[in-house]
Amino acid sequence: MIKQRKYQGGRFLAAGLGLLTAVAAFGTASAESYPDKPITFIVPYSPGGGSDQQARRLQPGLEKALGVKVRIVYKTGGGGAVGFNELWGSKPDGYTISNVVVPNIVITSKGKDVGFKPSEFSYIGMTASALGALMVPKDSKYKSLKEFVAAAKANPGKLTVAGVGSTGAANYAELAGILGIDTAYVPVSGGVGKMIPMLQGKHVDAGMTASSHAVKHAATLDTIVVAGAEPSEALPDVPNEPQWTYTTTWGVMAPPGTPADRVAILNKALLEATADAKVREMVVNNGLTPIRQTPAEAKAYVESAVKKFSQ
Amino acid sequence: MIEGLMQALTPTYLLWITVGVTIGMVVGTLPGLTATMGTALLVPFTFALPPGAGVAMLGGLYVCAMFSDAIPAVLVNTPGTPAAMATAFDGHPMVLQGRGQEAIVASCFSSALGTLFGAACYLLLAWPLITIALKFGPPEFFWLGVFALTIIGSLAGDSVLKGLAGGAIGLLISSVGISHGNELARFTFGVPELRGGVSLVAALIGVFAIPQVLSMVAELRKKEFIAEYKPKSGETLKTISKVLAHPVHVVRSAVIGALIGILPGAGSPIAALVSYNEAVRWSKDKSGYGKGDLRGVTASEIANNAAAPAAMIPLVTLGVPGSAPAAVIAGALMLRGLNPGPELFQSDGTLVFSFGWSLLIAGIVTFILGSLFAPLLVRIIRIPLRLLAPLIMLLAVIGAFAIRNNIFDVYIMLGLGVFVFLIRRLGFHPGPIGLGLILGPIIEPSLVQALYISDATSIGRVFFTGTLNIILIALSVLSISFVVWTRRRERVQAQAQAQENASSL
Repeated sequence: MIKQRKYQGGRFLAAGLGLLTAVAAFGTASAESYPDKPITFIVPYSPGGGSDQQARRLQPGLEKALGVKVRIVYKTGGGGAVGFNELWGSKPDGYTISNVVVPNIVITSKGKDVGFKPSEFSYIGMTASALGALMVPKDSKYKSLKEFVAAAKANPGKLTVAGVGSTGAANYAELAGILGIDTAYVPVSGGVGKMIPMLQGKHVDAGMTASSHAVKHAATLDTIVVAGAEPSEALPDVPNEPQWTYTTTWGVMAPPGTPADRVAILNKALLEATADAKVREMVVNNGLTPIRQTPAEAKAYVESAVKKFSQ
Repeated sequence: MIEGLMQALTPTYLLWITVGVTIGMVVGTLPGLTATMGTALLVPFTFALPPGAGVAMLGGLYVCAMFSDAIPAVLVNTPGTPAAMATAFDGHPMVLQGRGQEAIVASCFSSALGTLFGAACYLLLAWPLITIALKFGPPEFFWLGVFALTIIGSLAGDSVLKGLAGGAIGLLISSVGISHGNELARFTFGVPELRGGVSLVAALIGVFAIPQVLSMVAELRKKEFIAEYKPKSGETLKTISKVLAHPVHVVRSAVIGALIGILPGAGSPIAALVSYNEAVRWSKDKSGYGKGDLRGVTASEIANNAAAPAAMIPLVTLGVPGSAPAAVIAGALMLRGLNPGPELFQSDGTLVFSFGWSLLIAGIVTFILGSLFAPLLVRIIRIPLRLLAPLIMLLAVIGAFAIRNNIFDVYIMLGLGVFVFLIRRLGFHPGPIGLGLILGPIIEPSLVQALYISDATSIGRVFFTGTLNIILIALSVLSISFVVWTRRRERVQAQAQAQENASSL
C-alpha cells in the first residue's frame, strides 16, 4: 500500500516536473517573442497637452507594429518629475515606456533630489521637435524684434516676458543674453495653456515657448523671433536668431537597464509609427519637425542636453 | 448656426450625445472618476466617428458629469467631482429630512437649466464674453480667489474662527509639492511622491467621503440606513415649480456660472462656490442654508453646469481650453487635424456651432435620464449602512488611486479622512477645508505671477489699479464686512433674547 503510494507520488512528481519544464520552456519562448502582453505608456503631463498628443499620435502605429495593446496612463505632477520617477522605478522589461521631453527632463532634475538621473534611462528615440519662439499679442506695441529690443534697452527691467517654469527661465535667459536685454521674467506654472491667455489679454509684453504653440495660436499671437540657424519652415517670414539654440524635443524612453534587443524592437516599432503618412502630416501641421533616430542617437542627444544645462 | 443645429439633430449625433451622457452619468457619480478622466478615456473611441459627433459625445459626457456628481454629494455627502462640493452643503441635509427625491430632481433640473444657459452663451455671446475674460490676468485671478475665500463666512457655522482655521488647513495642504515660480520642494519631507503635490480629487475624497464612512460605522447601532425614502408620484413637476419659484436666484446663479466658467483655469468648482455664497448673501431668510435649503442645491448645480459649456468659449475663440475636460476635447480635435481657435469659426463653422447645439441637447438628455432614474438612485439611502459603508470605502480607494494611478494618493486620502473625522468632533466643518484645497491652486500661482509682473512696475500698480481689481477688492471687503455685521447682529439679538428670558423669569 505504502509502496504503491510512493510510486504514485513519484508519478505526480514526474508530471509536476514535466509541467514545470513546459512552463519554463514557454517562459523562454515568450522572452523571445517580446512583446506578448500590453505595454504601458506613461504620459507625465496632463491630458490634452503636447506629450499627450504625441502619445495619442503614436499609439495606433505602435500597436500595429508590436502586435499588442499600448495603454496610455497619466502620471502627472512636479513638472513631469512624478511620471519620470515612476518609469525610473518600473521593471526594465520593455513593458513600461514613457514619453520624454528634452530639455525639460534635464532642467527639472538639475541640482534637485528628484530620484532619477536623466542620462541613465534607455532612450528609444526622439520623434519630433520644435524651436524656441518669442511671441507678442497680435496688436502689440512691438511689431518686430527690433522694436522689442529697442524698448527693452530704453527701459531696462520694465518689460515683462512670460515662460513656462524653470525650463522657460533657462531658455529665455539664453535669448536675453544674446540680445543684451534686461526684462522681468514671469514663470507660469501648469503648462503653456496657462500662459497663452496671459499673452492674449496683454498681461505680459511677450511670451516664450516652443514654436509649435506659435503655429497653433498664429491667429491671436505674432512671433517675432525663432531659435535656430535657419528660418523655420513652419513660421516663414519670422526672423531667426542663429545663436539661440533652444529646441524642445519629444521622444520615448524606457527604464534604465532595459535589454538592448527589446529597445531595438521598440525603436523599430517607433520608426514604423512615425513613418506613417498621416502621422507625419499631423506632426508637420502642428508646427513640429519630425525626427527619426536610433537608440544610440537618442542617448547622445540627451547627453548633449545634460552637458548644455549642467553649467 | 442653423446648419449646426441641423447637424446636431441628426440621428448619429443624437445617438453619440446620449452615449456620452450615459457614460458621464457613471463617471460623475463615482467619486474620483472626474469628467477629465472620463473624456480622456473616451478619446480613442472618437476616432471612429466624424469629428463633430466625437466631440459632441465628449461634450455630452462633460455636461452630464456636472450633474451626476451631485448624486453622491446629495445622497452620501461625498461630491462626485470637486464641482459638487457646494451641492452637498444643502443637498445632504435634505436627504436626511426624507427629501431625497426632491434633492435629486432639483439637481437634475438645475443642471439642465445651467447647461441650457451656458450653451446659449456659447452660441450667442461667445465673442463679447471672451473680451471680458481676457481682462482677467494674474492679479485679477488672485482677487477672484480671495473673494471666493470669503465664502468661509457662509460656511463656517457657529464659529468663524474654526472656519478660518479650516480654510487655512486646506490652503496649506494645497501648497505641498513643487512651488510655483522658483520650483522648490515644499513640505515634502524627502518623500518623492509628495513632490507632485497632494491630488485635489484624492484630498477631497478624504475630506468628505472618509469621515462620512467613519461616522456611519460609529452610528451603526443607532441608524440602520441613511434616511427614510418613499417614492412620491408627481414629485418631479412639484420640484420643478419649486425651483422656478425663485427666478432671480436662477438667473443670478446661471450668470455667475457662465461668467466664471469662461475664465480659463477657474472652472466649475469655483463657479459653484461663488454662486452658493451669493445665494446666501442675497436671500432674505438665510437661516435654512446648510440645513437643507433647496436654493443651496440649485445655486450650486445651475452654476457648475452653466460653467461647463462656457468653458468651451475660450477654446473656440482663443484656442485656450477653459477647463481640464475642455483641454481633452481640444486634444481630440487636434488629433483630427482641426485646430481649435478663432480660425475654426472660418474653416469649420458648422462644427463649432453643432458642438454648441450638442451641449444644449446633452443638457436636455441629462434631464430626461436623470429624472427617470431619480427614484431609483435615491434608493441608495435605503441600503443598510453595514453594506453601504464598505461600498463607499471601496469606491473612495479606487477613486483616489485612479486619478493619478498612484497608491500614495490613497494613503493621503485615508490620512486626511481620519484627520477630518477627528476635527469634525471638535466642531470643524469640512467645507472650508475643501474650499482651501480648491482655491489654493488658483490663488497661489496667480499671486506669484502677479508679483513677478510687478517686478517691472510696482506691487501697488499691479494689484490695486484696474477696474476689475478694484471691483473684486470691493466685493471681498463688502463680503467680509457683511459676515462681521450679520454675526454681530445675531450676537446682539441673542444677548437681547437672553436678557429678556432672564428678566421674564
